[in-house]
Amino acid sequence: MEITISHNDDNSISVAISGRIDTTTAADFEKAIAPVISAGSTKVFLDCEGFDYVSSTGLRVFLILQKAMLARGGTVIFRQMKPDIRNIFDMTGFSALFQFE
Amino acid sequence: MIIMVPMFNKSLSSRIVFYVLSLCVVLFLISLMVFYASSKQQLEEMTYQYAEEVTQKTVLQTEQFLSPVVKLAEQAGWLCKQMLNQPDSITMLTLKMAANNPEIKGMAVAFEPSFYSQKGYYFSPYTYRQDDRLITMQLGSENYEYFYIDWYQIPMHTGSAYWSEPYYDTGGGDALMTTYSLPLYRGAAAEGKPFAIVKIDVALDWLTENVSSLKILETGYATVLSGNGIFVTHPNEALIMNQSIFSYASELNNAELREIGRSMQRKKSGFVSSTLKGVERMIYFTRLPSSDWTIAVIFPKSEIYLPLRSITLILVVVLLVGLALLSIIISRIVKQQLNPLGKFAAAVHIIAEGNFNVALPGIKTNDEMKGLHDAFESMQHKLDHYIRSLTETTSLKEKIESELRIAREIQMSMIPKTFPPFPSRKEIDQFAVLIPAREVGGDLYDYYINENKLYFIIGDVSGKGIPSSLLMAVTRSLFRSISQYLTDAAAIMSGLNSMLAQNNDSNMFVTLFLGILDLETGNMSYCNAGHNPPLITTDTTRFFPVIPNLPLGIMDGFEFKKQEMQLNDNTRFLLYTDGITEAENVQQQLYGDERLLQFVEGTTFESPQALIEALLEDVQLHVDGAEQSDDMTMLALLFKGVQQKYEKSIKLKNEIEQIALLQDFIEVTGEELGLESSLVMKLNLALEEAVSNVILYAYPRLPDKEIIVSVTLKTNDLIFTVTDTGVPFDPTLNENPDIHLPATERPVGGLGIFLIRQIMNEVTYSRIHDINVFTMKKRL
Repeated sequence: MEITISHNDDNSISVAISGRIDTTTAADFEKAIAPVISAGSTKVFLDCEGFDYVSSTGLRVFLILQKAMLARGGTVIFRQMKPDIRNIFDMTGFSALFQFE
Repeated sequence: MIIMVPMFNKSLSSRIVFYVLSLCVVLFLISLMVFYASSKQQLEEMTYQYAEEVTQKTVLQTEQFLSPVVKLAEQAGWLCKQMLNQPDSITMLTLKMAANNPEIKGMAVAFEPSFYSQKGYYFSPYTYRQDDRLITMQLGSENYEYFYIDWYQIPMHTGSAYWSEPYYDTGGGDALMTTYSLPLYRGAAAEGKPFAIVKIDVALDWLTENVSSLKILETGYATVLSGNGIFVTHPNEALIMNQSIFSYASELNNAELREIGRSMQRKKSGFVSSTLKGVERMIYFTRLPSSDWTIAVIFPKSEIYLPLRSITLILVVVLLVGLALLSIIISRIVKQQLNPLGKFAAAVHIIAEGNFNVALPGIKTNDEMKGLHDAFESMQHKLDHYIRSLTETTSLKEKIESELRIAREIQMSMIPKTFPPFPSRKEIDQFAVLIPAREVGGDLYDYYINENKLYFIIGDVSGKGIPSSLLMAVTRSLFRSISQYLTDAAAIMSGLNSMLAQNNDSNMFVTLFLGILDLETGNMSYCNAGHNPPLITTDTTRFFPVIPNLPLGIMDGFEFKKQEMQLNDNTRFLLYTDGITEAENVQQQLYGDERLLQFVEGTTFESPQALIEALLEDVQLHVDGAEQSDDMTMLALLFKGVQQKYEKSIKLKNEIEQIALLQDFIEVTGEELGLESSLVMKLNLALEEAVSNVILYAYPRLPDKEIIVSVTLKTNDLIFTVTDTGVPFDPTLNENPDIHLPATERPVGGLGIFLIRQIMNEVTYSRIHDINVFTMKKRL
C-alpha cells in the first residue's frame, strides 16, 4: 500500500492511493493519512486508480477521515475508483457518505 | 331471372330441332336414294322394253311389206315353171304381176344364157313401172349382161334367195331400191344349178319413212343397215348409202362401234351400249326376218332417266318446305315444353345463394317435369335442414378441436423443455424431445435432481386421445410427489402402480422406465414397467437388460423388481418410446429395434442433443412423409463421471500478517476453479474479514494459535470453512449495522460480518467440541 500526498494550488489535497488497504495495511494507511486529516484543508481528493482492494478495516479509516472532514465542513472526493471497490462501498452503504468523481 | 329463361331454352330447343331435322333429312335422303335407284332400274327396263317393242313393230311392218314380195317372187317362180315352154307367157306374166302389185317397181325373170334358143342369148322379160305406165322389155343385152350382176350372179352361186344391197335407181328418179332375187330350179328340190332368176325390185321409200318416223325418248332414232352394214336409213342423210357402220366406225375411230357392226351381222338381235360422239348410247338391234338387214334403235342412256329428274326436283322442294315447317313447329313445341327448366335453373341459383324459400314454378303435367319439380322441392327442404344441422355440428366440432388443442398445449407444457436442464451439474449431459402425433398422445418423460440424485422417467400411456393425455398428466405428477418421499426405485414403481391400478375402470396402463442416478457415486438403480429397454453405450451399444415386470396400472400389488448398476465414466443411455421403433413408412414397414441399434452403434455423437437430432432425421428418412401415428419420445443421457471434489485447506497462524498467505490461497483457488477476478476479490474480502475476526476475538492476544481455512467445491457451492480452537465466538450474532446512518453517526466497527453476509450466500457457525466452525457458502 502506498499513498502519495500532494497539495494543490487551490488549497486542496490530492491523495493517490495504490495497492491494498486491508487488515494488514490499514494501520499504515491510517498513519499515512493522519497529516491529511490534520492539514486542515477542506477538500481532499482521493485518487483511486491504483486502489485494488479494501476490507472493513480500511473502510474504517475512510470513515474516520470523513468524520474529521465533516467536522471541519470539508469534503472527501473519491476519483477514478475501481468498480470492485465501488461495489464494496455500495454494499456497505459507504457510497452515500462520500462524493465521487 | 326472367332474362335467363330464353337463353337457356334456345340452345336446348335448337339442339332438339337440329337432331330431329337431321334425322328427317337422313331418312328422307335414304328413301330418296332407294326410290331413285329403283326408279332408275324400272325406267331402264321400261325403256329397253319400249325400244324393243318399237323395233319389233317396225320389223313387223317391214315384214308386212317384204314378205309379200317374197311370196310374189315364189308365185312368179312357180308360174314360170308352169309356163316354161311358153316364154312369151312369161313375159306377159311379168306385166300382169307388175300391174297387179303397185308396190313392185319392176319385175323380171332372167334366164340362163340361151335358155330359149329362139329367144336369143339374153332372155329376160322385164316389166317396170315408170310414173303411171308399165313398160315391158328385155332386161338383158350386150350392154347389160345381167349374168354378172349381183342380183343374178349371187343367187346363182349361192343357190338361195337374195335380197340385194340397197341402190339408187338411177334410171328411175334416184329412188332407193332393193331387189329380191329368187333362183328357179328345174325340179322341186333345189338341186343342180338354177335355170333362171326371178327378180323383183321394190322401192324403199316407205321403209325410210317408217323408220324415220321412229322416235325414242328425246333424241333417240332408228336406223336400218343392209347386210353389209350400209346405212339404208338414218336421220343423218349424209350417211345413207354413203357409209356403212364400219366406215363410220373408222371415221369416228370407234372400235367398239365396229364390233357392234360385226355382232349385228352375226347375231339376230342384241342390246349393247356404246359411247358415240361422247355420249353413252344404248343400241338395240334386230335382224329383219326375211332379209339379212338389221334395224337398230339408238338413244342416249341419260335420256332414260329424264322423267326421274323432274320428280326428284319436286321431291327436294317438298322436302325443304317440309323441313322448314318441321323446324318451326318443333322449335315452338320444345320451347314451350322446356320453359319450366329455365325457371328451375333460376330458382336453383337463388337456393345456392342460401335462400331456401324460393318458390319453384308449378308443373301441371304429370311427367318428367313434374318429377324434376318434386325432386327440387324435396332437395330444397332437405338442404335447409341439412345446413342447419351442419352448422350446429361444425360449431360443436370446432369447440372440441379447440379444446383438443388446449389439451395438447397443457400436455406439452408438462414436460421439461429447457436444455441443458442442469447446466451446473458437470456429471451429466441430457437432452430430450417429444414429438406428438396428430392427436393428443400419451407419451411422457420427466426428470429432476433431488439431493444429488437424478430421477428420470420415460413412459407411454396406452391409447391416444384425451384419456391417455389425462393419464399421462396423472402419472407425471404422481411420479413427482411419490419420489419426493420414496427414494427406492421399486417402491416408487409400486406406489405408482397402486395408484394407477385403483380406479382403473378404463383398463388403461402405462409403460414406464424409472432411473435414479446418484451423481456423487455414479450408482444407478432402475426399475422397468413393461417399457422398451433403453440402449446403453459404453464401449459397445446394446439393449440394456431390464426385468420387464408389468406395466403400471394393471395389477395392484404387483412386486416390482428393481435393478442396480454402477456406471462407468462416459456411459450413454438412450430412452425412447415405441413411437420411434414402430414409426411406419407408407409401405407400413417399421423403423425397428435393429435399425435403432445400428444407428446408435454406428456413430459417435458429440452430445445427447446431437444424437437425438440425428436419430430423428434418420427416422424421418424412413418414414418418408407418411403420417405419424404415435408420439415419438426420446431421452438421451450422458453420464460423464462423478465430479472430483475440489478440496483445499491452509493453516494460518493467528497473526494479522498471515492475511497475505490467505490472499494467495484465495487467488490460487480462484485460478484453479476459473473464477472471475471480481468474485475472487470478494471472496478474498470475506475470508479476510472472517479470519481477522477470529484473530481478534477468538484468539485475543494469544500467540501461536492455528486457524484452518478450507475450501470445497460441492456441485455449485464453494464452501469455505474457518476453524479455530479459540474461545467460543459466533460472528453471526452481530447485528448488521445500519448502513443508512450518516457518516457522523456510523459506528466504526461491525462491517466485517456485514460484508461477509453480503458476499456469501450462506453463513453458519457451530461450536463442535472445542472448535469454532464458521462456514461460508458461495453459490457459483
